[in-house]
Amino acid sequence: MTLTATPGRLRLAISVFMMATLLAAATAHAQQGPAPAGSEDSANAREQALQQRVDDLEKRLSELESSAVLSEPETRVRKIEVYVDKDGNETDTPTPGSEKVVTYQRERVFRRQTISEKIEEALSSEAERSVQLGIDAAMVVQQVNQTRGTSTEADGHAYALSSADLYFSAKLAQNTSLYADVVGLSGSPPDGETGGLTLLNGYAARLVRQNEINLREAWLRTELFDQNLALTIGRLDLTAFFDRNAVANDETSQFVSDALVNNPMLGLSSNGAGLAAVYDPRGSWNLKLGVQQSETDATNLSQSLFSLGEIGYRARPRGLGEGNYRGWYRTDNSSGDHKDAFGVSVDQRLTPAIMVFGRYGSEQAVDAASGHDHFFSGGLQVQTRLVLNPLDTWGLGYARLKMASDDQEQLLEAYYNLHLSEKLHLSLHLQYATDTDPSGAKRSYLVPGVRIQAGL
Amino acid sequence: MRIFPKTFLSIVVTGILSVGVSTAADAPNHAGMQMNSGPDVKIPDPTAVVMIVNRDSNDISFMDMKSKKIVATTFLGDNVNPHMVMMSPDGRYVVTGGTRANTAYIIETATAKLVKKIPVDIAPEHLAFSPDSRWYYQGNPDGDSISVIDMQSLTKIKTISGLAEPLNVTFTPDGAKAYVGNYGAHWVGVIDVKRHELLKRIQISAPENRSQLDPERYLGEIKGINVAMPTPDSRYLFAADSDLGVVGVIDTRDDRVVSVIRVGKDPWRVYMGHDGKYAITPNNGDETISIIDVANRKVAATLEAGPDMTGVNFAAGKAFVISSTTGFVYVYDMNTLKPAGRIKIGTNVQLETATTDTADEKIYLADSTENAVVIIDAKTQTFEKIRNVGLYPWGTHVMDSKDNYCH
Repeated sequence: MTLTATPGRLRLAISVFMMATLLAAATAHAQQGPAPAGSEDSANAREQALQQRVDDLEKRLSELESSAVLSEPETRVRKIEVYVDKDGNETDTPTPGSEKVVTYQRERVFRRQTISEKIEEALSSEAERSVQLGIDAAMVVQQVNQTRGTSTEADGHAYALSSADLYFSAKLAQNTSLYADVVGLSGSPPDGETGGLTLLNGYAARLVRQNEINLREAWLRTELFDQNLALTIGRLDLTAFFDRNAVANDETSQFVSDALVNNPMLGLSSNGAGLAAVYDPRGSWNLKLGVQQSETDATNLSQSLFSLGEIGYRARPRGLGEGNYRGWYRTDNSSGDHKDAFGVSVDQRLTPAIMVFGRYGSEQAVDAASGHDHFFSGGLQVQTRLVLNPLDTWGLGYARLKMASDDQEQLLEAYYNLHLSEKLHLSLHLQYATDTDPSGAKRSYLVPGVRIQAGL
Repeated sequence: MRIFPKTFLSIVVTGILSVGVSTAADAPNHAGMQMNSGPDVKIPDPTAVVMIVNRDSNDISFMDMKSKKIVATTFLGDNVNPHMVMMSPDGRYVVTGGTRANTAYIIETATAKLVKKIPVDIAPEHLAFSPDSRWYYQGNPDGDSISVIDMQSLTKIKTISGLAEPLNVTFTPDGAKAYVGNYGAHWVGVIDVKRHELLKRIQISAPENRSQLDPERYLGEIKGINVAMPTPDSRYLFAADSDLGVVGVIDTRDDRVVSVIRVGKDPWRVYMGHDGKYAITPNNGDETISIIDVANRKVAATLEAGPDMTGVNFAAGKAFVISSTTGFVYVYDMNTLKPAGRIKIGTNVQLETATTDTADEKIYLADSTENAVVIIDAKTQTFEKIRNVGLYPWGTHVMDSKDNYCH
């Protein structure tokens, strides 16, 4: 009989109670002192009976301890290989005319587990089978102060943009999963009034229409060839695959300026239908190929089609820490003719506390006859040094964009990210941007800002 | 025979405290024991076998490394759930703690016979021997204690209390002190082995000053220190604190923290390279490994790895990191400190822990879902599966290996 936990505990309690009773009896016996000589035989008999009783109780307790409490058989389903002949006879070893077949069979083992282990297993199993939900919410408040140039509407204005992302992910099949990201944005970024070449608030890059819920990403991913090749298909954000950078690639935790999140020369202005293939055998090299539409108002899949390729190398230069070196190339048909661009993205650890990054990119201008646009950015991120808290980080970044039309932008940003808790971060930002038009006229802005970010 | 009342009382009390202990007749005549010869000898050379601890078949299997055959199996009892197996440094005994039986099991190596069952505290898991093979320290994480077993008399002589989920014990080479990683706290316990007493508590690092803002993390389940891992010369101990994301370096001469190194998120524990140049922490919080430059006490590299890492083995100039739930072993070149690929052991398999042979050539990895031990050739990164080693193999052990650990 398999006893459940509760009867097991009851029996255990009874046994302990009996032991205690026995102990009390024995103590009383001890306090009485030596038995009179005339009753020695009967005392011996009593003691032997008690000894036997103790032995029996010990045995029962041992049985309870080893077989009753939480010892329900564990049932597992195992994949097995068997041999089946043409008549359906199944054997464990090959027989004449049989073929090897993979099948599944239940297996029962007697593993003794605690209630907490069983609960943990059940919860983990349930979580694995269900849809996982994640939330990322952020608010960025910025104040624009114009320091140079003819006064613009933005001078002295404050801006706030709130963003909320809902993520869904689920396992669909072996090494195959589904992911969706629904985003809603509300508020005004400063970029509408400053009119710079790049966005001062990187969240605004997601802003398709205000106060609407938009499907930002929805894709299927599967992994092939010992999971060395990952294929992702659906509505994509290819910047999540290409031009990655450990220091400057995330507006939710690092720089908030869009020029310090991705390389503008990538040219991907919005998400769209696409395919990404990543071959990464977890060695020094990896290879990525992707194609994605980047036009919200496209009427067919042929419009605004971006094709990208990237090769990545994991390095460890002598005397330095780990580094990632990436070179990419893209072409797109957004202007009717194929337009090319290329770029590099590097992050390198100098010391355990300091990482530096750099990006460069160049693209054919929309009118190829007018030359190329160029972009450069660089900076550093510091952890555990000069911080209020060991988990805080801070960074400095610089970006420069020079268009073929002679429009230019230079941007400097510093941020300090306070790690308030696992799920809550507050960061302080200071941006200084200078835009120069082809005539040489400059406009500069000093933009202090605060970002509150919560992720679940 | 007359049993006097006080004697009787002590028997009752002892009986209550030692349920499950075998009778004196179970113990062998140690003085006259013949170790490597005789008709009952199954394991003539203790260095030639891999020991495999099988949780669900409740036994210890002995696999000959050359023939790759199971040469002996020692059944421990129903519902024992043995957790970790270890051979005494003199090769005479093999011991394990039965987690669900609250009992330590002592096996005579040569005959593979179970010679003694000793009741210990609650849920015994990891264990260690003193270098002279005299003391067997059995950690009881749920009992917050260590049971001290005298391997001469094969009796439990003391229970060291005052610990907090003791996971692993490390002895100094002279056997004078032992260091205990407390997973339920943020300190390493120092034990005076002569008196078997907790001497000192060494705090690796204090929780960050904003920890009160994060009660869910700091007042929920505590993940403290797994093990204090010694450098090859035992001068320093490297102890990772999972919750705090740091590795503390302890100078064993005066038992004080001399350095604190920040590593990745949620480091499971420290694994020391065999040459003592680098140590590795698998960081399950961010699925990376931190490679620590031991001499300079700083992180030399942080590299991508996989989820649910349960162990690291060193062989052929490489580190092999076990990602339990993915079926992968990630490989890193310890000369260049760069990734060197990964080995796919199987699909839908669960990998546990491994040991390395003394030649640093082969790794013996427990594959619990396939009831197998996977032998990885460290140089070629190829592997062979030895099946039917027992049910749910949880760990392996090779005498004198530098990678004997458990999870």
